[in-house]
Amino acid sequence: MDVTCSVDAADQADFERVVKNCRRAGLRVTSALDTIGVVTGSIDEAKLDALAAVRGVTAVERERVVRLPDPGGGVL
Amino acid sequence: MAATRARRGGPPPEEPEAGTTGRYLVLLDDRDLAAGMRALRRQAGVRSAASAAEAPEGLEASGADAIVFDEIGVAVVATRPDRVAAVRSMAESSPAILAVEPERYVWAIGTDDYAHGYRDGVADLVGRLERGGAAATASTGSASAEAVVTATGTFTWGLTATGVAATTRTGRGIKIAVLDTGIDLRHPDVLRRTIVRSSFIAGETINDGNGHGTHTSGTASGPANPPSGQPRYGVASRASLHIGKVLSNAGSGTDQQILAGINWAIGLGCHIISMSLGAPATVGQTFSQVYEQVGRRALARGTIIVAAAGNESSRPFQIAPVGHPANCPSFMAVAAVDPNLAIASFSCGAVNPNGGEVNIAGPGVAVDSAWPRPTLRRTIAGTSMATPHVAGIAALWAESDPTLRGQALWDKLVATASALPLPASDVGAGLVQAPV
Repeated sequence: MDVTCSVDAADQADFERVVKNCRRAGLRVTSALDTIGVVTGSIDEAKLDALAAVRGVTAVERERVVRLPDPGGGVL
Repeated sequence: MAATRARRGGPPPEEPEAGTTGRYLVLLDDRDLAAGMRALRRQAGVRSAASAAEAPEGLEASGADAIVFDEIGVAVVATRPDRVAAVRSMAESSPAILAVEPERYVWAIGTDDYAHGYRDGVADLVGRLERGGAAATASTGSASAEAVVTATGTFTWGLTATGVAATTRTGRGIKIAVLDTGIDLRHPDVLRRTIVRSSFIAGETINDGNGHGTHTSGTASGPANPPSGQPRYGVASRASLHIGKVLSNAGSGTDQQILAGINWAIGLGCHIISMSLGAPATVGQTFSQVYEQVGRRALARGTIIVAAAGNESSRPFQIAPVGHPANCPSFMAVAAVDPNLAIASFSCGAVNPNGGEVNIAGPGVAVDSAWPRPTLRRTIAGTSMATPHVAGIAALWAESDPTLRGQALWDKLVATASALPLPASDVGAGLVQAPV
């Protein structure tokens, strides 16, 4: 499943540590967004608890999909 | 590398992995780019690297193995097949390499046409069309926010109702990011603008195959004298426009794409991020912790994120809760009002506590703005249309006072909104107003 994680890191090096530990917990990282402190990726559902337990990871959420209404519908 | 050229303008015929280009994006530690480049040479077999400035025509034309975008600390590497495993493992083995991704996920390369090509897609590469912009002499017009507002012929009703028609501010010097379906770069109202842009949708260029993004961008920052004709519809006509494509031409995007767009915009120092997008929330649903943290960090860095409240209501029968991510407390949730300054029937309201409130309202019914060629203009409705009004007006306030950034800008928008005889649960502080 695809997930997004928020990371609480003291600095850049700390952020990198958290990202690496997310990988170790089983996250296949697709993006490490250091400016906003977010890591995204995919992970086996069975490993979710391990990911949530990584020090510095403050939240893990299942990825959502946003869709616009049909442009023909008038309301956008 | 000639194959790269053939891939422009559409999905490549052959893919190393589904949806990837075969190139890799390497996120370098921006405190020590040199160390990252040494690692690239050592581990990825990069023999020659060009800076973005040195290789304006793109990687394949430069003859180099890698292009480095030093503003954002990203290198795009064309690696030999036998080096792929080494490249992909660099993030583990070198502290100067933060992440390695197939060219797809975070910094998807948008190529809108042959003239602009490869370089346009990556974050800090500014596609400079024609510098300048029309002499922004805003016509004078009386801006009375009457109970019933009509288009004056010179300005849309929304610009009149919000005081944009009367202000001298243009948003000059303020960076505004619109995260949406892209923009029609050849629209006559856009041709004279410098637009910073990046597509985060794999296989899709920045060009707007939907229309939504061209419309919202137009409202936020369309020109003072639109070549497409009167009335004027754009708010911050001289703001520095940043377009992040985080929704596909089909109108969908994932959190990953949206967050990458937010990261990009904040990294470039955008003062305002306009997001006319969202997913419906259910009654009782709490906000996203991830987005909330992002919103707080943005405010702390002087960036305000403005987001559409959502269109799921069917008033007066049913009021749907403010959607994701506008329901995050640190995101400014924007409702839509109509030309009578009544709440739009579709506009979401404050149903859920704890972040689910509406913060402010903007013009969101019968909104005239740009639409991709050949249509040029279209009048539509939605909280998506209200949101860029607020974002553009935020840019006018930010221009008026350099201390108005982040939370201070938020507070000013709320404090200066004109009260409406409607519940705060529907319109928050009221109708957004431009500085005089």
